Amino acid sequence: MIAEIGLIALGLTFAAAIYAIFASVVGQRLHQDRLIDSGRNAALLTFPLLLIAAFALLAALLTQQYQIAYVWQVSDPNTPMFYRITALWGSQQGSLLFWSVLMSAFAFVALLVNGRKNRTLMPYFTAYTMAVLVFFIAITLFMENPFDRFWITPDLTADSGVPAYTLIPPDATAPSPALLASTARGLNPLLRHFGMIIHPPMLYLGFVGFVIPFAFAMSALASGDLSSAWIKATRRWTLIAWLFLSLGLLLGGRWAYDVLGWGGYWGWDPVENAAFLPWLIGTAFLHSVMIQEKRGMLKTWNMFLVIFTFSAVIFGTFATRSGLVESVHSFAQSEIGMPMFFFWSSITLVSVTLTLWRWRQGKLRDDHHFAGILSRESLFVLNNVVFIALTLAIFWGSFGAPILSELLTGTEITLGVDYFNAVTVPLFAVLYILMGIAPLSAWGATSAIRMGRSIITPLVLTGAALIGAFLLGASSPGALFGYGVVLFAGFVALYETYRGVLARRRAHHENFATALLALFGRNRRRYGGFIVHLGITVIGIGVIGSTLFQVETQRTLLVGETIDVDGYALTYNGLLSGQVTGDGRIMTIAQVSLARDGQALAELRPRTDFYPEARGINSQIIAGVHSTLENDVYVLISGFETINGVEGATGTFKIYINPLINLVWWGGLILILGTLISSAPAETVTAADRSRLRTARARPQMGSAMESPA
Amino acid sequence: MNSLRRISLRPIPFRPVLALIVILFFLRTLNVPMRVCAQDAAIDGVISYDEVNAVAKELYCPVCPNELLSDCQTQACIQWKTEISDQLAVGQSPQQIIDSFVRRYGDRVAHVPQDPFLRALSLVTPFAVALVALIIGARTFLRWGRLARRSPIAADAKHDISANPIDNDYRARLERDLEN
Repeated sequence: MIAEIGLIALGLTFAAAIYAIFASVVGQRLHQDRLIDSGRNAALLTFPLLLIAAFALLAALLTQQYQIAYVWQVSDPNTPMFYRITALWGSQQGSLLFWSVLMSAFAFVALLVNGRKNRTLMPYFTAYTMAVLVFFIAITLFMENPFDRFWITPDLTADSGVPAYTLIPPDATAPSPALLASTARGLNPLLRHFGMIIHPPMLYLGFVGFVIPFAFAMSALASGDLSSAWIKATRRWTLIAWLFLSLGLLLGGRWAYDVLGWGGYWGWDPVENAAFLPWLIGTAFLHSVMIQEKRGMLKTWNMFLVIFTFSAVIFGTFATRSGLVESVHSFAQSEIGMPMFFFWSSITLVSVTLTLWRWRQGKLRDDHHFAGILSRESLFVLNNVVFIALTLAIFWGSFGAPILSELLTGTEITLGVDYFNAVTVPLFAVLYILMGIAPLSAWGATSAIRMGRSIITPLVLTGAALIGAFLLGASSPGALFGYGVVLFAGFVALYETYRGVLARRRAHHENFATALLALFGRNRRRYGGFIVHLGITVIGIGVIGSTLFQVETQRTLLVGETIDVDGYALTYNGLLSGQVTGDGRIMTIAQVSLARDGQALAELRPRTDFYPEARGINSQIIAGVHSTLENDVYVLISGFETINGVEGATGTFKIYINPLINLVWWGGLILILGTLISSAPAETVTAADRSRLRTARARPQMGSAMESPA
Repeated sequence: MNSLRRISLRPIPFRPVLALIVILFFLRTLNVPMRVCAQDAAIDGVISYDEVNAVAKELYCPVCPNELLSDCQTQACIQWKTEISDQLAVGQSPQQIIDSFVRRYGDRVAHVPQDPFLRALSLVTPFAVALVALIIGARTFLRWGRLARRSPIAADAKHDISANPIDNDYRARLERDLEN
């Protein structure tokens, strides 16, 4: 019954989405408002329908309906309740359904928020979002259906497995529930981690969130309304999508650090990179769109950026789910590769063609020309070029070169860390430098002298910090250069905020906190952006520290033996094996004492978890970690030996000292905070404040124009 | 001019600062390095895990998806690491070992293809693309520069107002930035 409910809900969603496309486009063409409204209502209906389908699958997981192939595949009777819920997105079919639910949720909210505001754009917006949804529902319904059930048919032979069907075949009988329960596969051990509860939903929210700016941009192109309406409508949506994508990437890094057991958080894996590509283009768009808002420039460029951000989202989904690349993160190879490839290529081609068509019509002509090389818009363009260069370099290393090599020579190749470090590090350095310089420039034009004067204070602060870093042990030129460019960007963000506060204090005689709050109230996007820059700076410090100064060693220790690694004393105290947990996991735990300068710091318990019931990957190495802001002592057990009947008489450990690694996570939190501030609604300006502002603006002294609306 | 005068009235104490930097640099060179590298675990000519991992880090596992051989814990990978240890013990260089793995399992096990054509294709392409982008970018900026010289805004920008960090010019710029 649960499967039927899910199937019917999916089928109705498919029909409603198709009808929404038809009604919206025809309604707009024939100027029939009732048809447009009907299309909008059909689009709104897709969200509750998909919620019903998702709840049906969740109910099947929670009530252990193993006849449903998906439930059998991702859970077993030992799976705890918690992981039954996360199993909803634990494999291909469920995650496609989950993806569709999130996308319809975004479309639902966007339709409600913008429905009455943008009458010209909204019918096309409905059509575009529903077209994307129709594609995902189609592959869910017809190729990767999470409600397929096992049925025994009369023609089934003894040596073939029991197949799964979407519809009940004639004369079919259900397999024995007990047999299904006893053979159920269970969730992949790598997915049994706290990070997996929120990492995929965040990443999916980031991915599907970009459908909103994309659909608005396409609506503007289709309708011919290329005013700033679509930019205004998408501003907050782009930030929200970017926020979720950033969170997804950070949580993915944290999951890799905790679960994959290699002491790092970013391995330049193709699937990681596939999620990073839309983030890079989306970040370029976030900057570039400001030029269009402020100066009415780069209209065509912004169209391309928003198209390619969404195109990268679909490409990433295609790459992850089609078996195009092999990765620990990818889903199993499936038949959806070809349809996804066609969808990706056609949506990109159609969007680009539409943009070029409007461009040839002259509807994407810029309102202003660039007035100076040192203007903020020029520096933002440079920043965009670097972001795109990074995107291309990462795309080439992850997909371009391996695919081309296989096509041209039949040789499989992998481009690894050496390639990515050589190509991306210089580009990231340029980005940090631009991140520092751009906020000091002005829209329109800035003189070199003025820019030079603004730069002095952040440069002096950077120099002082570098001397400090040098004294603390960062002596390599590479590290000092890296810290220099990263810190410069951070100091500029702080300095610009400080200058703003100082200017406001002089104008209004306010205290520091009041002036700061008032400044944030005036333009949350600007100051939230500075906090994001600070977050990126902190992440940069963490990345440099944990990459260039990581210490790694592997040793075999006898029980009671101590080794010294980078000033830490690690003593192996023995092994606890055969620890069985409630979910059937068998843990082997090493006991390691950690001390520094004779002071006991922690008892570490690196372990291996063995899942006897799991098929495929059935074990997991979990590090014992002592974490401080200074560094992480990260210990893995990679083997043990039994001597004279003593199990674990020796243990082999991989030990990593990861300096400043926690700054990566703290920087991520700062980045999230900054994005939240940036995307918060602006303060409402009262009539009295507006009057005050008008009076102030009329005065010749510009300082008085910085009145707070609060 | 007022701000310039202020700067000249309070000159930066250059020599003491320079002296302080030199002293700090000298102290730093005497200082024991704060970052201690992992001790070499090689004992009596036996190849250490660290030596093996240094080579294994340069190779991808031939069977696992995108996993470095040094991090891989499968039985096959443990055997390959033992093989690396044996090869190091007989005096083979890390590059010789990498080459032998590439001969057996193909270029996919190396970080960058060892085949000269594929290596060139992989490494030169992004730089060639960057060069093309740089040329296009430079031409565009030069064109903008020519336009800028004719623009009245650029002429304004050349006009130096003040060195004061919160002068009227800064306030004007800030005000423009604050407009949503």
